[in-house]
Amino acid sequence: MMILREGLCPGLTADIVTVMKKNHVRTVVDLIASDLEMLARKCSLSYKTLVAVRRVLLAQYSAFPSNGADLYEEIKSSTAILPTGNKKLDQLLDSGLYTGEVTEIAGAPGSGKTQLCLSIAVNVATSLQQRVCYIDTTGGLTGSRLLQIIQCKTQKEEEQVASLGRIQVIHVFDAYKLLDVLQDLRHSFSQQLLRSGETLRLVVVDSACAVIYPLLGGKQTEGMSVMMYVARELQTLAHDFSLAVLMTNHITKDGSAGFRPALGRSWSFVPTTRIQIHRDERNKQCGNRLMSLVKSSRQPTNLQVDVKIGCYGMLDEHNGSNTSGP
Amino acid sequence: MTSSQVLSPAGARPVPCGSVSGTMSDDFRRAESGTQLLARLEGRASLKELEPLLFASGDCPLHGDIIEFHGPEGSGKTEMFCHLISRCILPVSEGGLQVEVVYIDTDYHFDMLRLVTILEHRLSRSDEETVKQCLSRFFLVYCSSSIQLLLTLYSLENMFCSRPSLCLLIIDSLSSFYWIDRNNGGETVSRQEANIRKCIELLDKLIKEYKLVLFASTQTLMQKMHNEKSEASNSEKSSVVDFKPYLCKLWQNVTTNRVFFSKELKHESDKATFSVTSCHLKSNNVIRRSFVITEAGAEFIP
Repeated sequence: MMILREGLCPGLTADIVTVMKKNHVRTVVDLIASDLEMLARKCSLSYKTLVAVRRVLLAQYSAFPSNGADLYEEIKSSTAILPTGNKKLDQLLDSGLYTGEVTEIAGAPGSGKTQLCLSIAVNVATSLQQRVCYIDTTGGLTGSRLLQIIQCKTQKEEEQVASLGRIQVIHVFDAYKLLDVLQDLRHSFSQQLLRSGETLRLVVVDSACAVIYPLLGGKQTEGMSVMMYVARELQTLAHDFSLAVLMTNHITKDGSAGFRPALGRSWSFVPTTRIQIHRDERNKQCGNRLMSLVKSSRQPTNLQVDVKIGCYGMLDEHNGSNTSGP
Repeated sequence: MTSSQVLSPAGARPVPCGSVSGTMSDDFRRAESGTQLLARLEGRASLKELEPLLFASGDCPLHGDIIEFHGPEGSGKTEMFCHLISRCILPVSEGGLQVEVVYIDTDYHFDMLRLVTILEHRLSRSDEETVKQCLSRFFLVYCSSSIQLLLTLYSLENMFCSRPSLCLLIIDSLSSFYWIDRNNGGETVSRQEANIRKCIELLDKLIKEYKLVLFASTQTLMQKMHNEKSEASNSEKSSVVDFKPYLCKLWQNVTTNRVFFSKELKHESDKATFSVTSCHLKSNNVIRRSFVITEAGAEFIP
């Protein structure tokens, strides 16, 4: 609801606002939708002024169509692909996490979602030397585990310190706080408070489910709308600032088809890419995880790879020797 | 129909590319040029050749038709949109319709690189320049709230008016603000629906007045209760059974075609198949077809 008030746009004076209010034109939408000739007559205002105000308001509040050819040029320069540090996983994702998209990892507890997030965060901070914002909602992240994975990537202490410095960890335990954090992030981007040079490329939310789930249920709509606000915030952050967003989700039992991601149908439309991760049932001892691509706009959706989790997280084992990398 | 096909490429020329929203937005009616008048009255090209296999009756889509795509996530709706876009923006010499498309993305899902891949596969000579020529007939708008969508539709009117070769409007998806509006709107359902109802009213008016075709997707957000399900299941096909209208009533009234999307659960072959059940709501014609998604986009199985 955008209420008309003085100074909202040039030409919209207090007098105009008052007289329009008397004629039941209170919001920006009211003004734009009304017949200006009639309105000008009823309020005895200048038609020209009203037309000018309407034009400015429309330009201010409507979205601007971009031409496909220009957009393509822009996307070619702004889109980056962040390798995950695991060759098999990169294969599954068509070479890595794409900026501008929300990628979801769905899996049961203990299936390795957090380990996957940590590994990717470390790889982005170490090999790509880009900054990561890690939003932890479960308390599942520990500094020592992060360091352990980093140590497998590089032996040099100063590099380890620099890598740890690139990962900003934020603990959040409810959905409203999560929204706060995401909006702060947007604000700091638009104010360009973030250090130039090393740009923030990856936002991890582990797990989105833990803060949203308590709000759902019953016939109320508030929980659903908070969930969709979180979704919207993640999508627009990814899109507006060329970030890759990685989030985790639980899975629930689904009568016929086996398992499906939690958070229901409305959430199912949010991620652009979804990976389902589960333990390899045939071979329980070895700690392998099966990852399958369930949703993608680029790849066929029946791809599956197995990935090993060890002390080095999910990164490729022999990475330690060639950290000079990109 | 022959006159409209001759007119549209010629009419496209006088309008410079950068004038999308730079031109005046209110005085357009009073200072309408000849090409603009023709665009509004008769000039749009026919879209009958767009994708005949998608429709249950032969003559679709006509000017002013509103087609709804409905289905769960990952059932190929956006991919089908990409197919339709590429059909539109490819030049006549490559078998396309050579018309312009506006795509309103409210889900932030549209993948430009995917569209480029599809174009490259469909062009006989896929160099950068040709691809960009096609893409210059495509316009993308992102909207993040129902109010922004409404205001954007108002500002698009100017574009519909000034571009005679613009024939197709796509909204993906119309239902993504549903929960936020339900919670923000106020006490009664009709107040909660006010924004989206205004959008649909305006859409209906614009589509009819400017003789465009609208494709809009709605997501399967609602599940039918079990008792509701059993009543319908005997007579209708499985994907239709799951349909529970929830967007405001006006939307059900203005749609002329409804296409249900579903992903088939067969895993025998390498490629997943998708199916569409297309209903022409006036004649009650129903048709069911399958398609596969390849590198070159959606492809119907004949």
